[in-house]
Amino acid sequence: MIFVTGPLYSGKKTYVKTRFGWNDAQLARLAAADVQQLVTGAETPAQLEALAAQLAQKTAVTAAEVGSGVVPIDKAQRAQREAAGRLAILLAQQAQEVVRVFCGIPTRIK
Amino acid sequence: MTALVVGGAASGKSQLAEQLILQSTARPRVYIATMQVWDSESERRVQKHRAMRAEKQFSTLEVPLGLLAAAESVPPGSAVLLEDLTNLCAGEMFSPQGAGENTEKAILAGVKALAEKCALLVMVSGDVAGGGLDYAGDTPAYVYTLAKLNNAAAAMADCVYEAVGGLQIQHK
Repeated sequence: MIFVTGPLYSGKKTYVKTRFGWNDAQLARLAAADVQQLVTGAETPAQLEALAAQLAQKTAVTAAEVGSGVVPIDKAQRAQREAAGRLAILLAQQAQEVVRVFCGIPTRIK
Repeated sequence: MTALVVGGAASGKSQLAEQLILQSTARPRVYIATMQVWDSESERRVQKHRAMRAEKQFSTLEVPLGLLAAAESVPPGSAVLLEDLTNLCAGEMFSPQGAGENTEKAILAGVKALAEKCALLVMVSGDVAGGGLDYAGDTPAYVYTLAKLNNAAAAMADCVYEAVGGLQIQHK
């Protein structure tokens, strides 16, 4: 699995499609995109590890970095942001390769 | 030659952008300021920054809106420091006289006109898309539009720098 991260709207899905020569249907089938959204209700370490293991079966996984703003006042939003960060760490550990996309430009960081 | 410098607040992006201009032999040096001046405090800030840049041989153009029209008054062969896309994007999206839904197109048309005309164009922009979208009102739309602008500016730039703690990461 390759893990692709970067800020919101930085071109992560476009990178994956270009790299593998996929169309949208192939992206939907072979990759898991925007997995920072999947952490709702999966916020314990065991749940996050199970989620990461399941996602690691895909060819590519993309997640937006969401932890660099001001800490949200809302407790649920704080928990979600934390979980998204921890999930990204687990995915990066399991990935053969990690790519960060910044302003549409990919950099291999693992 | 076109460069884009992106970074968070107080990351050293302005200083890096200015260095790129000062290293160039291209003249005249033109600074395109984009802040909307609301009150006497921002007016004083503008005066102070104008004086600082005058010492470095910059002339200043105030362009809070309408970059494409303003590009006409930039002399060919200039070294232009455009600071910054963040302000231009907010101005065009939210001012009554701004481009509204056509913000991205309007700013990119201005950027392209400048890039064709200048010997050196250095654009500065902010990085606001790393903190999620848990914002009220129009802010998510702003985050999205600025990200698209940054991506398009990066695609057309010869060099793309990310400023971090006063240092630089060259992405392109």
